[in-house]
Amino acid sequence: MSSKFNKELQVLVKDKVISPELSEKIKQYYTIKNSNKPNRLFTIFGVFGALLIGSGIILMLAHNWDDFSRVTKTILAFVPLVLGQFFSGYSILKNKSITWKEASGTFLFFSVGASIALVGQIYNIPGDLGTFLETWIILCLPLIYLLRSHALTILLLIFSASYAFEATEWSYRDTETPWLYIVFLFAIIPHYWKLLKTNISSNVVTVFNWIIPLSISYALSAFVERAELFGFLMYITLFGIFYIIGRGVVFKELSNLRNGFLISGSLGTVTCLMIFTFRWIWEDLPEEFILNTQGFYTALVLFMIGLSGLIYAVVKQGIRSINIFQIAFLVFWSIYFLPVEIMFPAVLTNLLVFALGISAIKIGADKFNFGILNYGMLIISILIVCRFFDTGMSFVIRGILFVAVGAGFFLTNYVMLKKQQKLKI
Amino acid sequence: MKTIYILVLFVVVAIAQIFVPAHMIWNNEDTITTGKPYRFKTMPIDPTDPFRGKYITLRYDMNRYEISDSTYVYGDKIYVYIQNDEHGFAKVDQISKEELDIDQDYVIAKVTGNYNNKVKFRLPFNRYYMEETKAPKAELAYVKANRDSLIDNVYGLVYIKGDAAVLEDVIINDVSIKEYVDQ
Repeated sequence: MSSKFNKELQVLVKDKVISPELSEKIKQYYTIKNSNKPNRLFTIFGVFGALLIGSGIILMLAHNWDDFSRVTKTILAFVPLVLGQFFSGYSILKNKSITWKEASGTFLFFSVGASIALVGQIYNIPGDLGTFLETWIILCLPLIYLLRSHALTILLLIFSASYAFEATEWSYRDTETPWLYIVFLFAIIPHYWKLLKTNISSNVVTVFNWIIPLSISYALSAFVERAELFGFLMYITLFGIFYIIGRGVVFKELSNLRNGFLISGSLGTVTCLMIFTFRWIWEDLPEEFILNTQGFYTALVLFMIGLSGLIYAVVKQGIRSINIFQIAFLVFWSIYFLPVEIMFPAVLTNLLVFALGISAIKIGADKFNFGILNYGMLIISILIVCRFFDTGMSFVIRGILFVAVGAGFFLTNYVMLKKQQKLKI
Repeated sequence: MKTIYILVLFVVVAIAQIFVPAHMIWNNEDTITTGKPYRFKTMPIDPTDPFRGKYITLRYDMNRYEISDSTYVYGDKIYVYIQNDEHGFAKVDQISKEELDIDQDYVIAKVTGNYNNKVKFRLPFNRYYMEETKAPKAELAYVKANRDSLIDNVYGLVYIKGDAAVLEDVIINDVSIKEYVDQ
């Protein structure tokens, strides 16, 4: 129990809000309750310790000790691995605490990496970093469920994304698509889903809420190779999916900061769309698209996922709950393939971004949330700043627009503040 | 799930975790002990792998074959059949997209280009791991020796058996590159 809580209890007793007996009872209740709980701080330190030791071993082995014979190096390759397996096996057998499982799992993860890295060094085994990471991840994926380790899941999410990136980036100009990333992701998701269902407000879920969209966004760049034309389309659709997920019923009770899907979806959508408000990007697009490409099919699959998510949201929460951020990707798809002059899609995208800004302001005003309100204002301001550079508008009109937006910032915030104060009274 | 089932599954995973590196060791040892050694002329350059440390990348002289066949395209996996030339270095005898039914050693390579009736390819055993401090020195030593025209034979010693090829050592003027950099 924290000392702050104890002090509060003392104050309550002193001010005669509660009796000393009741204070004692409360203290006892929390002491018993907390004694059953694993020490969270201890778990975090345990994981960090294992993480540092494990990666330290990898770094030491990466020195490639010339003085050691091949046999010594081979033994060294297996010592950390067997140790990690022993500790993990022991924590399963004795059903040890979360701290044990998390720390031993993290250590085992790195010792598997160290082991295959060292064997690779001894025999100069060819293969780029992507292939190496692939073997490493496959050998460690089942541990997520056997040890029920969150730290391992986070590590695997990060390493899977770097695998996807490396598989395309470093394989000497090869454009192999890292399809296995999708398998890795699907293998990890049940663990996350179970956590979402049981303990949505925990800090671990918050970490996952952020790290999953970040991992997918990073990995998607590997699928964009040779599909530059559809790259943005893929990303805008992906961010649309994130936003739809973030608005799902499961996340309803979460604060925005804990909802990484919602924030990354919203920011991603706005950023990508902002690029398409410029005329030059539309000028770079070909008049006719070659649709029979992997890039297009990937974008199409994402589109179908997004559309299904949207339909599900409409069925579950009703059409009135849908806001423009959720359908932005649908609108963009129709603009993207519109067979008209360059100017027209650019204008439509400007209108779309403007509508997103207004929608954010409305959401902010409805929820009395200054953050969202100002986010909407910011979208519109950036849109205007962007137009500052590529339109032939006169300086006077540009100036008026800036003053108007600046005044808008003050006015909306002021009006809302007043409203809030009124409500408080 | 019962602890015992989880433990059994864990043992299976643990065995797989040991089996994979052990299998790698077994395959490579078998190639080194029973495979045939070849010498591939090369030049080294030095990059880094975040997990496996410093290594030198080898650019082999044997990287093309004259053939007028446009069906070989970038990324194709090819069988490069090799034999020794009059100086004892490996040279291409023929290339094929499929494994041929002949008693001759081959390496599996990847096509990197096809122009002017030359199919360019890349040999797989192009990484040689070295002690952290030695890898940059190895590159410098090679550049210096090459500039002074001291080097007439830098080669990778590669053991070949079936599909497997193991790069055992890189030799500069009859000395292992590990010792050469200390000289």
